Amino acid sequence: MGKMNIKIVCFAGLRKYFGSETTVLVDSGATYTKVIDELILLKPEAKEILTSSRIAVNEKFVSLNEKIKLENTLFLIPPSSGG
Amino acid sequence: MKHLQYNGINYGKLFDGFRNPKSGAVVLFSGEVRDNNKGKEVKHLEYEAYESMANKMIAEILEEAKSRFRLNQAACVHRLGRVEISGCAVVVITGAGHRKEAYDANRYIIDRVKNEVPIWKHEFFVDGTSEWGQNCDCVTDANEHEHKHHHETAK
Repeated sequence: MGKMNIKIVCFAGLRKYFGSETTVLVDSGATYTKVIDELILLKPEAKEILTSSRIAVNEKFVSLNEKIKLENTLFLIPPSSGG
Repeated sequence: MKHLQYNGINYGKLFDGFRNPKSGAVVLFSGEVRDNNKGKEVKHLEYEAYESMANKMIAEILEEAKSRFRLNQAACVHRLGRVEISGCAVVVITGAGHRKEAYDANRYIIDRVKNEVPIWKHEFFVDGTSEWGQNCDCVTDANEHEHKHHHETAK
């Protein structure tokens, strides 16, 4: 099975662990959950914030159990607290 | 961007521009920076957003509120960057024929903006520490409408 390199843009509290941007390598056909799992492996100390983060693609939230489509930039959205 | 700005929000000016002959009620909510949070003295806040998405989401929330509550007008502007104590971090203005719709819609908009829109608050405390806000304070008695809560969608 082929692999794909996924670029991930990080915000707010996530930058402490991953900087503004990071990449992970996942199998083609993987789900968005797999990206979160890979990031947890990279930084186990970020597990709590990662498991409560969402992923946005093209300015819309995606369901984490969907398969990653061709786009290769994901926006990782930690819990927000505007206002 | 229409709904996000780095400079101070002049809500008096926004409010003045909000008059509409069909509106018998105009409600303005200003979310302001408190000097304390969870027992710690706050020095100032800094806001960050996924700007293009946040701006688009606020526009969509306003459109939905306008039709749901029969508003004549609705506006929301959120600050980015550094906001001092007592500074306005977010403003929501709603205008409707009667006060019930104007109040209800205002609450609906601010709750959804706070819970759903990718805007983050970085708190800087007087003791020199800082923290990204992650706590959700949206569970209140008046919060009965169904918003998509991030803890659910993150599963």
